[in-house]
Amino acid sequence: MRRLFPLLAILLLGLVARAEDRVSWEITPRITAPGQPFRLQILVESDVILGGAQQAGKEIRPPRGMALRLSGQIARADSNEATINYSGVAPEQEGEYVIPTFNLRFARKMIAVPEIKLIVSKTVSYRRSSQARAELVIPDRTFYVGELIRGSIRMRGGDDEAVVASFGLESLAEGFALSVTADRQPLPEELGQGLQTTFDLTPIREGQNELSLNGTMLIQGSAFQAFGNGGRDRPFSFRRKLTVEHVPERGRPADWTGAIGTFVAEAVQVSKDRPEVGEPIRMRAILTGAGNLDRLVTPELPSSEQWDILPAQERRRHAEEQRFFVYTLIPRLPGKLLTPAIRFSTFDPATKQFGRVEFKPIEVIVTGNAPAKVDLISADPAAPADSKAKPASGLAAPQPHRASPLFRGTPSAPLAASGFFWSGNGVILVLLLALTAGVLAVGYLAAHPEIGIRRRARSVIRTALVSTSKQADRQAFALTVVRALQVGSAALLKAEEAAMTQSDVERALPGSSRALLDDLFVRAYGDRFAAGSPSADSSDDTAARELLRRLLSLL
Amino acid sequence: MRSLACLLLCCLATLAAAEPAPSAGETAYAKGDYATAVEKWSEEARTDGASAGLLSALGNAEWRLGRKGRAMVCWERALLLDPRDPVALAGIRHALNAGGTERPAMTWAENYASFLTADAWLLCATAAFWAALLCVVVPRLRRRSASEWNHRTRVIALTLLALCVPGLWGSRSLSARAVVRKADVSLRLTPTQFGEPLNGVAEGDVVRTGRPFNGHVRVTTADGKTGWVRAGEIESVRGAGLPADLDQKAAP
Repeated sequence: MRRLFPLLAILLLGLVARAEDRVSWEITPRITAPGQPFRLQILVESDVILGGAQQAGKEIRPPRGMALRLSGQIARADSNEATINYSGVAPEQEGEYVIPTFNLRFARKMIAVPEIKLIVSKTVSYRRSSQARAELVIPDRTFYVGELIRGSIRMRGGDDEAVVASFGLESLAEGFALSVTADRQPLPEELGQGLQTTFDLTPIREGQNELSLNGTMLIQGSAFQAFGNGGRDRPFSFRRKLTVEHVPERGRPADWTGAIGTFVAEAVQVSKDRPEVGEPIRMRAILTGAGNLDRLVTPELPSSEQWDILPAQERRRHAEEQRFFVYTLIPRLPGKLLTPAIRFSTFDPATKQFGRVEFKPIEVIVTGNAPAKVDLISADPAAPADSKAKPASGLAAPQPHRASPLFRGTPSAPLAASGFFWSGNGVILVLLLALTAGVLAVGYLAAHPEIGIRRRARSVIRTALVSTSKQADRQAFALTVVRALQVGSAALLKAEEAAMTQSDVERALPGSSRALLDDLFVRAYGDRFAAGSPSADSSDDTAARELLRRLLSLL
Repeated sequence: MRSLACLLLCCLATLAAAEPAPSAGETAYAKGDYATAVEKWSEEARTDGASAGLLSALGNAEWRLGRKGRAMVCWERALLLDPRDPVALAGIRHALNAGGTERPAMTWAENYASFLTADAWLLCATAAFWAALLCVVVPRLRRRSASEWNHRTRVIALTLLALCVPGLWGSRSLSARAVVRKADVSLRLTPTQFGEPLNGVAEGDVVRTGRPFNGHVRVTTADGKTGWVRAGEIESVRGAGLPADLDQKAAP
């Protein structure tokens, strides 16, 4: 019994030791240069069958500035080992970076991965220009709430790698409204090979706001050809703290309504430059420039003695960076009038100064008469309605049941408003025109029979060209070629097909070999007159087919 | 001879029998009860459809009740159905001479168009168009030269079509008119709520209508003044039905 206890204890210890999971990791290269791509491989060995890890990229939290993304895993359904691969890009600053402990969730077990350390050192030699890289392009200045910031992510190819695609752009920007304006566009030529994604960013909150952008680009290079899949993905991650302020209150004009940027008053257009008094016209002011065109409030224009002004619907064009202000103007007086001036204040974030944009008025000639004296309505509401009624002496005796022989019927709606009437007439007209066109076409073809003859000849020659390409029988080959030559020559010479001889074919195809034609005709029709025909070689067949092609080109 | 006399007698008897008894509306009108006459004739128009005679009679009763706008709408619509309706013509003449209403002078095209109704002009023009087209197309389809008869028909059809064009134009401009339905309507300079009043137009005045804008319609009065009135203040003469009841709110 005393011996049994130590044995059991040893067995128990062995079992406990077997139950431990073994996790190891490896970073390639072990020490990276700033911004250098690396691979992280995590090897897991367990006492149970693992299978594949679920959502292996979700729980891992890379340190600030490091991009890390699950790139694949090697696991078998009946194995207790698994390999998880991540691809990443080292941060730009030197130092020792720690990826905190995280869990890998397998179907039957959750395994904790210990801390992983990455050393970034400038002593490592790394040629940045050889590899593909992503850059965040955004102005480096103080931003203002409501302004439109144009930014982009440039994914530039290197000497050894090319960027072929990108996907999975995610943004975490609580203090901003972000919208992608163009995705995966080719880079300008001066920047080399690569792609870029442009976006519009609008700050919506004052203070220090962090902009975080993550994504993945698909790269392709000669080094990856050995692996066979031709390309691999590489993540990128940007975190940028941006300072956002409100547009300064000091010096802010009263008519400033949120325009931030540099704007240009392009033109003012009117729909009619010679309207009548009281006739509405449309005035359109075109504004261009770089700024928050979409957020601009249409400047209010009050009515004046000369113009009555109504708001109108406006149209916007994003692509051309234009904004229209549209108004309906109604002239109140005749003569040469100037359209009302449109003015509003703007704020330039680059110079931090307020400015003013003004659309110059244009001249409009208004015709018609001025209301020289306004006749005000002076009805006396107290007067009885029929106080001025005159005796109704001129009315004829009503004849409600009178029927006129010419004007019978009581239509519920005028015939001109009947859709059936117009559509019926339209359908009949179209049918009649189609019929006439058909008859004219048939008549034309009947008057020009050579069109049909040539068309048939082309069809016969094309069929012969196709069928002779795979014909092994020499006589059948010759017969097909000769018949096609006869049909084609007859169409050209306007003669009967059956009467065409070698001489006629020679006349239709000047310069063709007489010997070849004789050989073809003898092979085709020789058995009618004499047994056997001289055998031809393959070069003759090619020449015969060439004759057909020449004939086809003449038809 | 005897049989002929019998036949004539039968015809006269039929004619006498065809003479309808005066309707309730006519009786009420004859008694001076114009409100009842309007009610009866309106009911008759709703059930049997509005004829030119019924509309002109209704116009007379409305005029007697002092509703100039409704009366003018009835007469104008009666004239669209029958341009020579004597009761409607007399009513409009009376309204212009003694009633204080105004109506734009008819153009030559409108006078020409009054010879037939708008539907008749359109049918004539359509028939003439098809006749001319078939005269051109049929010989081509048959591949024969056009006969003498074909040439004559073609000329007649094209002449008829040319004669229909001013009639169609006049019919269009006749139907592009409206009657002022409300009292104290002002012609405004601009189609806005606070548009400057230029002139007054009276109930029952006929105006030519232009384009609508901002809930207003541009109109030209009989004396050539142009301005804007609210769309609800006028009623188009186009239509064969009864005048709209402006006091009754539209169903939601």
